[in-house]
Amino acid sequence: MKKILIPISLLLLALFLPELVGRNPYFTGIMINVLMMASLASAWNIPGGYAGQFSFGHAAYFGAGAYTTLILLSGNPIDPLLALLAGVVTASLIALITGSIVFRLRGHYFALASIAVAEIVRLSVLNLQFTGGAQGILLSDLTFHGIDLNSKIPFYYGMLMILVLSMGTTAYIQSSRMGYYLQAIREDQDAAASLGINVALYKNRALLVSAALSSVTGSLYGLYIRFIDPGAVLDLRLSIEIILTAIIGGVGTIWGPVLGAILLVPLAELLRSNVIGDTLISMGIVSDVSPVGHFFKEGLAHAHVLVYGVITVVCILFMPQGVLGITRRRK
Amino acid sequence: MLIIQSLVSGLLTGGVYALAGIGMSLVFGVMNVSNFAHGDLMMLGMYLAYFAFTLLHIDPYLSLVLILPVSFLFGFLLEKLFVSRVIHHPHQNQILLTVGLGLIMSNSALLAFTSDPRILTTTYSSSSVMIFSDVSVSVPLLLSFLVTCAITALLYLFLARTRTGMALRATSQNREAAQLMGIDVSKMSAITFGIGTGLAAAAGALIAPVYYIHPMAGHNFLLKAFTVCVLGGLGSVPGATLGGLIIGVVEAFSATWISTDWKDVVVFMLFLAVLLFRPQGLFGKRGGE
Repeated sequence: MKKILIPISLLLLALFLPELVGRNPYFTGIMINVLMMASLASAWNIPGGYAGQFSFGHAAYFGAGAYTTLILLSGNPIDPLLALLAGVVTASLIALITGSIVFRLRGHYFALASIAVAEIVRLSVLNLQFTGGAQGILLSDLTFHGIDLNSKIPFYYGMLMILVLSMGTTAYIQSSRMGYYLQAIREDQDAAASLGINVALYKNRALLVSAALSSVTGSLYGLYIRFIDPGAVLDLRLSIEIILTAIIGGVGTIWGPVLGAILLVPLAELLRSNVIGDTLISMGIVSDVSPVGHFFKEGLAHAHVLVYGVITVVCILFMPQGVLGITRRRK
Repeated sequence: MLIIQSLVSGLLTGGVYALAGIGMSLVFGVMNVSNFAHGDLMMLGMYLAYFAFTLLHIDPYLSLVLILPVSFLFGFLLEKLFVSRVIHHPHQNQILLTVGLGLIMSNSALLAFTSDPRILTTTYSSSSVMIFSDVSVSVPLLLSFLVTCAITALLYLFLARTRTGMALRATSQNREAAQLMGIDVSKMSAITFGIGTGLAAAAGALIAPVYYIHPMAGHNFLLKAFTVCVLGGLGSVPGATLGGLIIGVVEAFSATWISTDWKDVVVFMLFLAVLLFRPQGLFGKRGGE
């Protein structure tokens, strides 16, 4: 009973959260980002956390979804849902190609090949004509069954739906035979193979599910932002942020990626929006004109990734199981 | 003549890739760690060469005398402080630790030096010499290549002739057996990481006069270095040497006959093709993959 009660109350809280903040667009925007990173990290967690196959190129699947959907919708009056499904097809194709090349090999190689594939996708989008190149793609008008898409609220609920879908898929896989197979592969690939598990097949399945979920997230993000370029949706930095979110929360768990997103996204927002620097300056702790004040005001906003780096190193050295891992050990 | 022109400039750039690849392959062979900070270490080498030139007025090729020991020490300390703690962890943790270290390096550089690209202009930066009457060779690339050859030759001598070099190779072949023979493997790891860092920084310094110097330059080099290593066989020093030259030539040929925009795509396609058809690389041992 208790096991069901907490998720249900959290879901109820999430459902009413936009009303609790009075539909404030700024907070709604941050919450959409939290949900998005949570669902991307959950999707990454299926091959990454359960099967131990660390993908460093998940931006490719996210970007494939966003790009396919926006390319199809710009100029064509088709149903956004169809465009979203087309994104899933593209991302699945990329996942199948990647998987069939490297899943016969061990972990090191998958990590390297996933970056290579993601870079090929990014450079192709950058250099091709129909993808808009470095300028990206702008979607001017969008209609969907009479819903007002100029508000952020529909996208909040859309992202929430995708997160629930990602977590549900993770929970289903975890409790199924496949979940045990994946964990066996993570712990010892050779032992798993010798017990008759088709290692390459299950790694491929995990990556495929993950790519599809990431692509849906990407499509919805594209519809929400309506402007995408290779730097925003296909960059290696996004792939690394996805991994960090999962790692900091705790890999190989259902709630870890969500916890990671709840911790990291607001932190990044705090750093980016200069709240820390402005507070310190207005409290008179550091002077506006001093080098330290200048650093907080100008430098830190550009360096939230630096903080990510520090967090990663600390996390790997002192709590490789993530925040959830620590609370578990205490129990 | 175009073909010889591309071949020559490809081989010259390939020499620098080889240097970066050797550093990474050595670390992989001895420590079994994929160093994802390798590109950022190259970036630091570029800035070191830049500041040695602009502040101390030392020629970028001469500044290697300073850069090599400084970066060796830096790598040695990085290993002692961070990497050694994860050497027995699963490889995902090692990758993430080095990713984190790389992020710290590139973003510290971003804070310290801003994102404006810098250019190191020497008096001979745009000069070239003619060989075979109509093939022009850029002087800075030629100098880089000659210095690369010298460093590689010294490294081969070190690995083949000195006691430490032999101990390194023994550790690379079998860590446990080397330990049983009385080799201090943790010291070997630190030395290897120091050499790897030194070679990365040297490669960065050597390419600095012909490349934009900026904090995010490492990303591109990281992937190139990986391609070089995998092509040569992870852990193989001769493999990485040959792999670097091949990648340089492939890049130059695709820039000439396809387009400059697509040359990196061709290199990464080659990387995937190697994984598909010969995952152990040119000189790698079978079974490790």
